[in-house]
Amino acid sequence: MTRTCLFALVLAACQAPTKHRDTTGATAAIDVPVGPVPGPGEASQANPNPYTKNDDVAVEEGFKLFQRYNCAGCHGDHGGGGMGPSLRDVDWRYGDTDAQIYDSIAEGRGFGMPAWGTKLPEDHVWKLVAYIRSLRTAMEPDRPSIAADTEAPPNTTAGLARPQVQNPPPPEQGK
Amino acid sequence: MSRPISTRWTSALLLLVAACGSSSGGSVEASGPPNGQPEGPAQVRLVSPLPNGEWTLPAGDLANTRYSPLAQLTPQNVKGLKIVSTVTTGVPHGHEGNPLVVNGVMYVVTPYPNNLMALDLTKNGQLKWLFRPHPDPRSVGIACCDVVNRGASYADGKIIYSLLDGHVVAVDAEKGTEVWRATVGDINRGETLTAAALAVGDLVIVGNSGGELGVRGKVVALDVRTGHEVWRGYNTGPDNEVLIDGTTKMFYPHDQGKDLGVKTWPVDQWKLGGGTVWGWLSYDPETQTLFYSTGNPGVWNPDVRPGDNKWSCAVFARDLKTGHVKWVTQLVPHDSWDYDEINENIAIDMEWQGKMRKVLLHPGRSGFMFVIDRETGEVLSAEKFEPTNWASSWDLKKGEPVKDPTKQTKHGVVVKNICPSSTGAKEFSPSAVSPRTGMLYIPAHNTCMDYEGVDANYIEGTPYLGASVKMYPGPGGYQGELIGWDLKTQKKAWSIQEPVLPLTGGVLATGGDLVFYGTMDGWFKAVDAKTGAVMWQMRLGSGIIGNPITFLGADGKQYVAIYAGVGGWMGAVAFPDVSEDDPYAVLGVVGAMKDIKKYTGPGDALYVFSL
Repeated sequence: MTRTCLFALVLAACQAPTKHRDTTGATAAIDVPVGPVPGPGEASQANPNPYTKNDDVAVEEGFKLFQRYNCAGCHGDHGGGGMGPSLRDVDWRYGDTDAQIYDSIAEGRGFGMPAWGTKLPEDHVWKLVAYIRSLRTAMEPDRPSIAADTEAPPNTTAGLARPQVQNPPPPEQGK
Repeated sequence: MSRPISTRWTSALLLLVAACGSSSGGSVEASGPPNGQPEGPAQVRLVSPLPNGEWTLPAGDLANTRYSPLAQLTPQNVKGLKIVSTVTTGVPHGHEGNPLVVNGVMYVVTPYPNNLMALDLTKNGQLKWLFRPHPDPRSVGIACCDVVNRGASYADGKIIYSLLDGHVVAVDAEKGTEVWRATVGDINRGETLTAAALAVGDLVIVGNSGGELGVRGKVVALDVRTGHEVWRGYNTGPDNEVLIDGTTKMFYPHDQGKDLGVKTWPVDQWKLGGGTVWGWLSYDPETQTLFYSTGNPGVWNPDVRPGDNKWSCAVFARDLKTGHVKWVTQLVPHDSWDYDEINENIAIDMEWQGKMRKVLLHPGRSGFMFVIDRETGEVLSAEKFEPTNWASSWDLKKGEPVKDPTKQTKHGVVVKNICPSSTGAKEFSPSAVSPRTGMLYIPAHNTCMDYEGVDANYIEGTPYLGASVKMYPGPGGYQGELIGWDLKTQKKAWSIQEPVLPLTGGVLATGGDLVFYGTMDGWFKAVDAKTGAVMWQMRLGSGIIGNPITFLGADGKQYVAIYAGVGGWMGAVAFPDVSEDDPYAVLGVVGAMKDIKKYTGPGDALYVFSL
C-alpha cells in the first residue's frame, strides 16, 4: 500500500509541475534550512532581552534567582550539573543564544526540565539567562575556585556574600 | 528453616591475620590489627536460608548477609578466574544493583528506562526476552542521583521491581509479560523509586526515594499476587500514620512519647520531612520482623527544622503482616549533615559479651558501626570505622551521639572540615558477613566537606536542599577502603585502601573464604576473606558500583557476576554533562570526584566469570 501511494505521488509530481497545488492542502515547501536545533531560534515568542550583555545587576539578580527557584539543586550550585546537565560547559542541546536559553527555561525541556514560563515573570527568566551567560566569564558572581584544594580548602565564599533572598510567595502554578 | 552455621578458628590464624593485616596506617580513626585477644572470632549464627546456587532476592537472603556457601572458588584457585560472558544493557548509567539468577535464567534490571532482560544461562547469556516498561521520562529529572535501580526480587513466578517513575511492576519470569503494575510514588511531588523491592511471603515491600525533594518517607507493602496495597507506614508524621501504637516499645526514653513524628518538627515541616527508604530492607523469619532505616530529614539546612526530626536517620522494626512498629531507634537526631542512615541492617545472631544476641549489623553512613539488638532496638556497640568528627562518640546509655558543637552546620555559616561528608563513611553499597570468619566486609570511603545552610524554597517537584556543600578527600591519603571488620572486637582486622576514588560498590562473601568487590576505577577483585590479601583482580570496562553475586551453572560450576557501569551520586561526575570547575555541583560531590574522568567513563556491561 505504501508503495502504491508513493508511486501515485511520483506520478502526481510528474503530471503536475505547479508545486503549490497538491492534494494535501499543505502550504508551500519550506525554502530555508530547517536546522537541527529545536525551538524558534532568534524568533522567540518572548519580548526582546531587556538587559545588555554587561548588565552586572541583572547577572547578580539572576544568580539569586538561580538559587531561589531551585535551579541550583538540579544544575549545580554554580551551574556545573547534577540532576540536570551542566550549564558551564560548551555543549548546548537546545541552542546557546539568549532567545534559545530563554525558551529552554520558559517552555521546559524533555526528561524533567519544568516549563517556568507560566510561573515566573518574564524579567526573572531574562535575569536567569543573564546569569547563565555569565558562567565561566569575568562577570560570573561568586565564581568557584578550581584550585586543587583537598584537605584544607580555601574559603571560596569569602568576598561575595551568599544570596540572602527572602522566601518569595509560592509560585502560582507550582503546586 | 534457619540454617545455623557456627565456626571457630584457631588463635594461630588470628595471629596470622594480625601479622598480615592492616594496611591502614595514617588514617585518623583507622585501627590497627585486632588487639591480640586469645579467643577466636565472634560466633555467628545465620537466621535465614542462604541462596542455594541461585540468587532470588536482592541480597541473596532475607537477612541481607550477602554470604553464599558456594566454595568451589578459593584463595588458592581464584587466580584462574576468567570472563566467560559479557552482555551490554544499552544504558550507560549507574548500575548499582545486581542481577538475579532463577531456574537457569539471569534477570537484569537496567537503570532508567528500567528494562528487564532475561538471559538464558544455558546458552551463554543469550537474550531470552526483553521487557520494556516505558516509565515516564520526566522521572529522569526528578531523580537526585543518577537514574539508578538497586535490583529486583523473585517471588510467585514473577520478577518484581521498582520503576524510577514511582511504580512497581511484576513480570512473569517465564514469559516476560507484565502481570501487574502498582502506583507507589508520585513524581510530581518529587518521589522516585530506586531501591530494590523485597519479596517476603505474600508481600512485596518497597520504600520511596526523593529526600532531596521534600518528600515524606514511607514503606508500602503490596500483595505479591495482585500488586494491591496491604499496608503503608510513613516515617514522619502522627503515630497512626507511622503505625505506632500502645504496643510499640521504644528502647530509649527520648524515642518514647506520642506523635513524636510531628512534635519534633516545626509546624507541618514533617510533611516535607524526608526520612525516605532508598537503601535495603531485611527480614528475620524467626520473629517475622521487617527492618530498614531511614534517610536524611528535609530540608538539608538544619536551622529550618529545629528538633530531633523523627523518624529520620532511624532504624525501624515492623511486623511484616501489619506494618505495625515494634520499635524505632533514631541514630542521628536532628541530622545536620545529610547523613542518611539508609544502609543495610544485617540480621544475624552472634556472641556478644559472652551471650548469643539477636542483632542487626548497621555500618552507618554517619561513620559509626552500629550493632543493635533487633528484639529491642538497644544499641550494643557503635565504633567509628572511618574518619568521623561530627560526634566524638555514640553514647550507648543515653542512646544518642555526642555531637561536636563546632561541626554543627548552620544557616549562613560555612562550617569546614566535617567528616565524613554527606556521602557518608559508607554509601548505600552493601556489606557482606561471613559466618566462617566472623567478619563483616564493609565497602567504606573517606571524604570530608564544607557545609553551609542557605535559604530553602519549597517548589513541589524540584530540589529542596537549602545547603551549599563542597566535598574533598579525607585525611590519610585514600578515598576508598574495604574493611575486614572483626565482629568480636568491633575493630578493623584488615583493610585495603583505594587511593584515588571512593568505594561505592557492594561486597560478596563466600564459603570458599573469598570476598569479591569492585572499585570505581573498574577493578574487580577477589580477596582472601581471612587476611585481606588480594588474590585476583581484573580491570573492567567501567567503574563498578554494583554488587557481586555468585551462583551455580547448569554445568555445576560456580560463577560470579558483576555490573560495570559507573554513575550514581558520586559516580555521576564521570558523565560528560557534569563540569569539574564547579566543586559544588552534583550536590557537592564534584570537589571529591573531579579526577574521576581520568580513571573511568560511563559503561553498561554485565560480566560473568568462572574458572
